[in-house]
Amino acid sequence: MAGHPVGTRDQWLAARTDLLEAEKAHMRGGDELARRRQALPWVPVEKEYAFETVDGRKTLADLFDGRSQLVVYHFMFGFGFRVNDETQGCARCSFIADNVDGMLPHLNGHDVTLMCESIAPLDRLQSYAERMGWSFPWVSSLGSDFRYDFGAAFTDQQRTDGAEYNFRRYDKPVPQREGVSAFALQDGVVHHTYSAYARGVEPLMSAYAVFDLAPRGRNEAGLDNPAAWQYRHDEYQRS
Amino acid sequence: MPEHKVGTQEEFDAAREQLLAEEKQLTRRSDELAKTRRELPWLPIEKDYRFETEDGTKSLADLFDGRSQLLVYHFMFGAPYEAGCPVCSSIADTLSPQVPHLKAQDVTLICSSRAPLAKLLAYRQRMGWSFPWVSSGGSDFHRDLGFANTEEELRSFLEGDIPLTVTQNAEMCGTDPVGYVSEGPGLSAYALSNGTVYRTYVTTARGLEQPAMSYYGLLDRAPMGRNEPPDEPLWLRRHDEYGTT
Repeated sequence: MAGHPVGTRDQWLAARTDLLEAEKAHMRGGDELARRRQALPWVPVEKEYAFETVDGRKTLADLFDGRSQLVVYHFMFGFGFRVNDETQGCARCSFIADNVDGMLPHLNGHDVTLMCESIAPLDRLQSYAERMGWSFPWVSSLGSDFRYDFGAAFTDQQRTDGAEYNFRRYDKPVPQREGVSAFALQDGVVHHTYSAYARGVEPLMSAYAVFDLAPRGRNEAGLDNPAAWQYRHDEYQRS
Repeated sequence: MPEHKVGTQEEFDAAREQLLAEEKQLTRRSDELAKTRRELPWLPIEKDYRFETEDGTKSLADLFDGRSQLLVYHFMFGAPYEAGCPVCSSIADTLSPQVPHLKAQDVTLICSSRAPLAKLLAYRQRMGWSFPWVSSGGSDFHRDLGFANTEEELRSFLEGDIPLTVTQNAEMCGTDPVGYVSEGPGLSAYALSNGTVYRTYVTTARGLEQPAMSYYGLLDRAPMGRNEPPDEPLWLRRHDEYGTT
């Protein structure tokens, strides 16, 4: 880290003030996109989806749990980064899920139900959640088309013929990818309101936004895989 | 919830794809700003700040705890407070789970407040957090960054219409508006190089949203957005107080 330019108080302040203007413009750009998201047309969800949950079998409408908005993180389980067997969740998805419990009471208090969904047996999700110390709701969509229909998993057929991910065509998609989907319940009907994939889920990776303010940033430039430094939160001592 | 425009899948896809292009632009712009932040000149810290910690009195350099980067969240918890600021508490909820990942990339994250250490640690236990929390009540650390105000400096603010959120939060902290706004929120970043501590970055107000209020990033993707009517006090509560107020 040697050799970084050092400044006087006045130089620092001048550079920081210039940056602040750019940061504010960026913030307003973010506000504008949030407005645009809310203006997207809502699409009624006509298919019946069933989920296994700790409270038994539930429909998509049931998952709202008395609130009017539902946000589902499509968590890769038994597949993904640093997964050796079917009892583990993807380490990158775990990096995201580490944020969920902290946000949960605030979102629940503001009429939003937030949960994770995976294509895996419920008992495996529960064991892994226990290991990671998570308590957010996590449902199994095993046997349902839910994750496939919302663009974060691909059938054998799609993997051969190609499919869209993040609104772009992939000739040979991998079995699963990350994603987040939002739904609204209006007059008893569930509507799909938004989905995001790939770097679109980065707002859920709070650690990245924190690194973006640190002296060395994300510091991933020299790595073969940008996530090479990332492990599950209970695995860092090993690395 | 007011009736919302309903569309077909094709209408959604067309609108979503257009929005995606702009989302990608904003992400890239965010990357550029992060780069500009890293290029800011570093400011050597010449003052010898002292902090009360669980392991005794420490200097700013000590707080790095063996790493080369330090981030400090200036948590609003002044001496007259009976409990920490509820908004800062929601920020701490967001920051706390980042700690192991930040450590892995050579970053130490701590909170600093001006209340006595015993008060901070008791509150930390109530909230279930584990990050280090230091008391800077005996130094000008917060004041030098503009995160501590005197009554004199607050006079014009206090003579105007005090926002409902300030009154509400002051009450939730067991203090009055002047006691509450004597503290200010902020995040400051430091680098330790060849034994010298440098300040690299400081942010406050809405600059805290991306790094420390991830629930806003999520609400910005939820059907009703942030849903914060300007004439209503802020909806945020401490995580163990929802449904009780």
